Amino acid sequence: MVIKVIQVILSPVLALVVGIFFLGLARKIMARIHWRYGPPLIQPVIDMIRLFYQKSVSHGRMFDLGIVLSLAGSIVVVLFLPFGQMCPLSNSGGLLVILYIMLLAPLGLALSAGQGANPNISIGISRKLILSLGYEVPLLLVLLAVMTRYKTISIMEVVSAQQSTGWLITSWPLFLSGLSYFLILPAILGIRPFDMTSAPQEISSGPMVEYGGKYLALATIEHALVLFISIALFVNLFLGGGANPITFFIKMLVVFVLGVFIHAVFPRFRIEQAIKYLWKWPTLLAFLGLIITLAIRS
Amino acid sequence: MSLEILLIIAFGGALLTYLVGKVSYKGRNFLAVVISLVLIAFVACLYGKPVEKTFYFGFFGLGLVLRLNTLSWFFAIAISTLGALSVIFSLSYVKDRERTDFYYLMLLLVNAAMLGIVFSGDLVCFFIFWEIMSWSTFLLISYNRGPALAAGMKYIIMSLVGSLAMLIGMISLYTGYGTLDISQIASAITSASSGYILFILIIFGIAFGIKNAVMPLHTWLPDSYAEAPSPFTAVLSGMLTRMGVYGFLLLMYVIVGLRNVITPRLLSYHYILAWLGAVTIVIPTFIAMLQNDAKKLLAWHGIGQGGYMILGIAFGTSLGLAGGIFHTLNHAIYIVLLFMSVGAVQYRTGGERDLNSLGGLIKKMPIAFVGGLLGIAGLMGVPLTNGFVSKWLIYKTLILQRSPFLAFAALIGTWGTILSVYKFLHNMFLGQLPEKYENVKPAPFSMQLPIIILSAAILLFGILPGIPLKVINAIGTSFGFETLNVTLWGITSETGALNTINIFSALLVAAIFVWILFRLGAKSVPVSQEDSYAAGAHIPKDKYHYTAEFYNPLYRMIKPFLRDVIDEFYYRIAASVQRLSDSVRRVYTGDVGYYVTYIILFLALLILVQIKWKPW
Repeated sequence: MVIKVIQVILSPVLALVVGIFFLGLARKIMARIHWRYGPPLIQPVIDMIRLFYQKSVSHGRMFDLGIVLSLAGSIVVVLFLPFGQMCPLSNSGGLLVILYIMLLAPLGLALSAGQGANPNISIGISRKLILSLGYEVPLLLVLLAVMTRYKTISIMEVVSAQQSTGWLITSWPLFLSGLSYFLILPAILGIRPFDMTSAPQEISSGPMVEYGGKYLALATIEHALVLFISIALFVNLFLGGGANPITFFIKMLVVFVLGVFIHAVFPRFRIEQAIKYLWKWPTLLAFLGLIITLAIRS
Repeated sequence: MSLEILLIIAFGGALLTYLVGKVSYKGRNFLAVVISLVLIAFVACLYGKPVEKTFYFGFFGLGLVLRLNTLSWFFAIAISTLGALSVIFSLSYVKDRERTDFYYLMLLLVNAAMLGIVFSGDLVCFFIFWEIMSWSTFLLISYNRGPALAAGMKYIIMSLVGSLAMLIGMISLYTGYGTLDISQIASAITSASSGYILFILIIFGIAFGIKNAVMPLHTWLPDSYAEAPSPFTAVLSGMLTRMGVYGFLLLMYVIVGLRNVITPRLLSYHYILAWLGAVTIVIPTFIAMLQNDAKKLLAWHGIGQGGYMILGIAFGTSLGLAGGIFHTLNHAIYIVLLFMSVGAVQYRTGGERDLNSLGGLIKKMPIAFVGGLLGIAGLMGVPLTNGFVSKWLIYKTLILQRSPFLAFAALIGTWGTILSVYKFLHNMFLGQLPEKYENVKPAPFSMQLPIIILSAAILLFGILPGIPLKVINAIGTSFGFETLNVTLWGITSETGALNTINIFSALLVAAIFVWILFRLGAKSVPVSQEDSYAAGAHIPKDKYHYTAEFYNPLYRMIKPFLRDVIDEFYYRIAASVQRLSDSVRRVYTGDVGYYVTYIILFLALLILVQIKWKPW
């Protein structure tokens, strides 16, 4: 019981630390690719503390509650994800619940921003929702392939099965699904070439445009958690999770740095181009992966 | 005994309300509410007292039977509760309309007929109540006149096709077994050939498929939902359409029986029905995204969600069945809530339901907004709302039973739903408030009350799904399915449990923590909607109209694929029938002189035949 409580408190904190570290790291790596020196690693923390002390504007009750809901939703998702062997809510509904609670974060943000009455927000949310429909098609096929392969909806079982059989991404035919997941990962993370949702130069950061002060701070924390969740899900499902938090963290780091490289060198897609891409190769691969999985098992 | 009294109260009450309405409208409103509340109490008292009783023998030698079991109780309590809420909602909604006595008569009659359907113990009763329901629905759909007349006509024609199919099935059963008592047929049919069983399944399936708007029999629904008065649309979408689900349950698991329906073959009835359900989920959900009419958008979702129910009950495992039945209840709750929320907005904005001209109403109508928010959360299946639990049950069945493609259809339906319902909520309540709605007042209390009750129900059944699942579990057991391990907050099993109370407490603690963090930060300043940042550009004062084509990039890509081909096909049939009738009318002119000529010509023909061949 005590261990459980400690885990419940510890895992969001760890997730937050990792997520914010990633934010700082991304800026540093980007700067180096651009031949700049870049801000210190803890710059996001400094920014956040400063933001909490700054004045902000509010557009109404939903504007406040939405951002709270969004962050709370992300914290709950973290409790469902195994971090190494630590998973506080492992037996409360499994992958299906994870998939659905991951809705709360964008939904809360969309509701909050929606009250802002600003065209940039509408454009940003519209793009975000279309983009998520775009990547959900291959993502759902990938997740279904994994669940069909192991005949379970529990993410813990998928992780522990990989401890004995090896990483899922190296196994046939889920190699196809894993590849598809990797191809859509930038879209899930919202990094280039898929950052049309925020697109600072075009629509003034889209849904974020009305946020300032503590709103922006909470939105940044939320963003850090989303980074953690998206990568942790990939590592858990395809890279064998982690025997302990250290190996898990190293795996996440490698995936993230790869993602930042992609982010640094690609220009931005338009939303139609993004959908066309997502519904073509990743979907095809995921579809093949699912069919072959089904054929082999039956 | 008690069932007859219940139905007498229901039908008699409807007529009495009409008569009282001729004298005083206050008395009528009071009576309508009282009767619907009495019906709830009555049905609630009947819980756990199964009855089967023949109350009349004289119908051409057939007994008319009323019966009560867990299945019918479950549907009856939902019907009476939602019916009462709809009557309460109507109090202000139809206040200033014409023919309100007629409206209440029909509304109560529809509820009474639905209660009759679920309490019927034989197919004659079933058919009679089914027909009362169909035509009273027709009259209510057409209540607003104008385009509503065409919608009602479309409904009644499709409904009649369904009724005829049912009648053929009944005649066939009667000639085969000499009885129309449901329990007698159920025991007699076990010896029937599989071909005959398939015939019965298909012929009744057409009737129930039309009522439940399963693709390709769905086309009556969008127009009817959009044109009917909002409180009745709530009843129509919540329970009346779902009489189709009740029919399928009765057909598949009571009359034909579990063993005869669920066969392991790939091309079997239940498997094809499950695939029809999956198609019914995906296509209407994506069509809903293109809609700009609030009620039409919900109507298409009504079709889509019906697909989940069919998918769940057709798949035929105890989890799937529980999911399907539970989803029927959940859908009823959130769709009624959504239609009421739209109704409240319509009432205060002069009947406006075009999503492009509304906006920003959250500050003016907070209760309607909360209703809309929880309604769409349930519709999407956000965890801790009721829709999530039933969908979880269905997904889990499909995944563990190795039907990932059916599961994919169900899951992608959810993500399509998110897009359209966000647009629904955003364009009505969020975003910019147009100047003409500056002085909109909140909905009256009689509209807010049902919205509050249903919002609470969504959260209650989402956090403690065990309450309805216990009853649903009993229904499944009575059909011969294995019992589920239901707890108050979910389901336990070796293949993955659901524990909503864990999710709830985690979210609650997280939300409180974040809220405290939020309060600790520097205070924010409330600003008006004009005071927003547009990078130096000017934001137009009234509607900025980006929301009009909210998902424009996606529309351009998917619109060509989403024509309602089936509807066009039916219209083409209707057009050719009309041409045929026109040419028939050229012969049957209605002029007696023509008929005399026909008779003389026919006699001449007979005489000619007799002279030539001498057959007589």
